[in-house]
Amino acid sequence: MATGLSALFMANRAALLRFLRARGAGENAEDLIQDMWMKLESKDIGPVADPLPYLYRMANNLMLDRYRSATRRERREQDWAEGAGGVMADPVDDMPVDERLILNQTLDEAREALRALGPRVELVFRRFRIEGVGQRAIAEELGVSLTTVEKDLQKAYRAMIALKQKMDTA
Amino acid sequence: MQEEALGWVIRTRDPDFVDWEAFTLWLEGDPARAAAYDALMAADADLDAIIPSSPAPLPAALPIAANDPGEPRHRTWRWVGGGAIAAALVATISLSMMNRADIYTITTRPGETQTIALDDGTRIDVNGGTTLRLDHNNTRFAALDSGEAAFTVRHDATDPFRVTVGDAVFEDAGTVFNIVHTGGATRIGVSEGKVIYNPQAEAISLPAGRALADDGDGLRVMDVAPAAVASWRQGRLVYANAAVAEISQDIARSLGIALTTTPGARAMRFTGTIRLDKDPARFFAGAAPLMGLSAIRTGDGWMLKEGNGPQS
Repeated sequence: MATGLSALFMANRAALLRFLRARGAGENAEDLIQDMWMKLESKDIGPVADPLPYLYRMANNLMLDRYRSATRRERREQDWAEGAGGVMADPVDDMPVDERLILNQTLDEAREALRALGPRVELVFRRFRIEGVGQRAIAEELGVSLTTVEKDLQKAYRAMIALKQKMDTA
Repeated sequence: MQEEALGWVIRTRDPDFVDWEAFTLWLEGDPARAAAYDALMAADADLDAIIPSSPAPLPAALPIAANDPGEPRHRTWRWVGGGAIAAALVATISLSMMNRADIYTITTRPGETQTIALDDGTRIDVNGGTTLRLDHNNTRFAALDSGEAAFTVRHDATDPFRVTVGDAVFEDAGTVFNIVHTGGATRIGVSEGKVIYNPQAEAISLPAGRALADDGDGLRVMDVAPAAVASWRQGRLVYANAAVAEISQDIARSLGIALTTTPGARAMRFTGTIRLDKDPARFFAGAAPLMGLSAIRTGDGWMLKEGNGPQS
């Protein structure tokens, strides 16, 4: 199986490279392609249902990881400058009581915000975001159109991201 | 651009997303788009911290386990639609509430078959041209989106194996059964044990030797020879008074070829056994006369028409 995936990778190398560049990889695109190749060769990935989308997703995840570690480094350097030290504690384990209260309050607020959107929007968001079910499957389960599911998700996402931003700036 | 980027976040987060070329084109339209997408994906990841893991306590609307009798759940879920859909919905929700669903998709190309062994001892033989969804965290679930699969289920009365097909649910009661799902039609044949069709709604019991079809003609239950169920696994197709329209779909799926039929051929019926052969020319040379039909090669496939005409 892994050999099939490698062959597909070679056949689509140019398209993947183009994707990585569009994703903002710039001059590192070639290096990232090389990373992908090494990963594919070293790991026994097993049967993959949709091989080409799988490769694209792998490339996309590489870019997301890069973005995440870059922002984390920035934040850590900032913390360091503010004298907070470079240690990132697990947010829940070692949390002071007052912070935990705030977190509980946050969860309540998020729950309220989701509920305010109506039971279907909440259910759709939950199935998609927490349980990882695809939109088509959700539409079939609920007997609604794919467009309805898309709109519900956008509504829920907008509300949740707005809430997150409100809390971050508060 | 934020709105567009959010649209792509949602689309690419979908486990079934495939249109990466369109996403590439969107990104290439403006270098700032990649940054907007990254920022929103990071915001999405941050949501983990604030999404309440359990739903808001809705009064009396919490779904209960599907095998938990007695609650009038249809009333609370009426907004969803008909009884069958509600039943399927409640079943899937209660399953996924117990342990997080981790759905993966199995796809076979036409002509390619695959056998899947689930951890609980259940075996699924997947015929060609089939899309099947399974759950890493729940080995008692399968969804047949299209195509054909034979299920040899390890029975557990306390935790029945369920297959969802469109809006319908099939629940095993110690069973070997085969399901075909094409276009708007569903056919199931039972060769051992028993299957319950839509346990929460019609609750039709299908013992070994019975088959059910749900297509343009409505819902019908009929007899089927147990040996004929999933006979494609033994390299043959067995029929009792089956429509050529159905048979041609089975052939196309099993051989991995494009196969059309003339209206006259579609209307005919056939009883007997057809031996499968990976070489279409050799296959039709034997099978077409057997069905009282003739097969001709078309542009990129084959066509079945009435009459014992010369083979081309």
